[in-house]
Amino acid sequence: MFNKLIAKSTGKSPWIFHVNTGSCNGCDIELVAALTPRYDAERFGFKLAGTPRHADIVVVSGPITSQSKDRLIRTLEQVPEPKCVVTLGSCPQSGNVFKGSYSVEAPLEKFVHVDVAIAGCTPKPEAVIEGLYKAAEILQRKREAMKK
Amino acid sequence: MMFPFLKIAVSNLFSKPSTENFPAENVEAKPNYRGRISYDAEKCINCGSCIKVCSPSAITRIYEDVEGGQNITYEFDLTSCTFCATCQDFCDQGAIQLTTDYHMVAEDPKDLVVRGTRFKKKIPGKLQVSDACIHCGICAKNCPQEAITVDRKAKTWEVDHSKCVQCGKCIEKCPKNALEFGESGPEGVLWDEEKCIYCSICAKKCPNECISVDRKEKSWEINRDNCVQCGICVEKCPKDALQIGTLE
Repeated sequence: MFNKLIAKSTGKSPWIFHVNTGSCNGCDIELVAALTPRYDAERFGFKLAGTPRHADIVVVSGPITSQSKDRLIRTLEQVPEPKCVVTLGSCPQSGNVFKGSYSVEAPLEKFVHVDVAIAGCTPKPEAVIEGLYKAAEILQRKREAMKK
Repeated sequence: MMFPFLKIAVSNLFSKPSTENFPAENVEAKPNYRGRISYDAEKCINCGSCIKVCSPSAITRIYEDVEGGQNITYEFDLTSCTFCATCQDFCDQGAIQLTTDYHMVAEDPKDLVVRGTRFKKKIPGKLQVSDACIHCGICAKNCPQEAITVDRKAKTWEVDHSKCVQCGKCIEKCPKNALEFGESGPEGVLWDEEKCIYCSICAKKCPNECISVDRKEKSWEINRDNCVQCGICVEKCPKDALQIGTLE
């Protein structure tokens, strides 16, 4: 009975960990804005976690600079399964205007499977909520698949 | 007043929450918000200026040969776009528009690519006019590149072949069917004797070694059978004496 209760409640509290890999701060601001009372992503249980070990969803922003690449991989390894990786904005998907630079390692797909891509430069907070909502659904699907 | 905040507190008790009820109710973006690109392939004349100005090179053009012409596909990769709208500004035809749609979330990034394909008929040669022309000027008005000039009084019809992109809009609009694309002769490198200084740079740069220049005799020759019209000689000529065009 307890397991059922836990399974139900974990689905309603997907915790986010946000990794900035050399982002211009535009996407980071919009992600935080999505958590403010105006847009209030916390209605759906999204909460910024302080450590990757507590997180279910990892939100990556920025074009993954060479300096942050190793740190990003180390962070992603610490997130317990099932996890969900979300890219915020154009940068982690393609490198945006920085693509081809010697110090940029985008796309993120090279290192880890990306579950949800939120496009925009930067995405509106509504789009961020939409993306996170989708990630939470995928997370729930992954949990059920893991049980079987 | 003992409780100046009481009025606000009571009114807030009955007012709606300031939080947007977002996924349940759709929120429209403000006007002039730059969101998802919409591309109208029918308006596009394939000038390529959008590709040139795109800073994250998010636009790709794909040519595909089909029967009777070719399919030209433009792909706008929204996962690469900065939504700067420079492509929209540079599109003279208004084929590219950035809409206020911001719902750009996908599990597969391939879903975030905006595509448009246009079929372009194979065009044999340059634009020509026949005697049926009544100098109405409709072709000139409809030319997106303003390549055609018509003088109704002097009864002249002229086309600037360097501006013409062979979109065929003038042929469609002509009420007398006086316009057509003529047969083109073989293309090749044209040599301007007056400009040439016989420096022989073209001969050195030619990858197929089909140009021979004699500095003493002042002669310039090309082996047309080996020439592939790569244009390297045209690019390297210091005096602009060479160009690729229709041979007479």
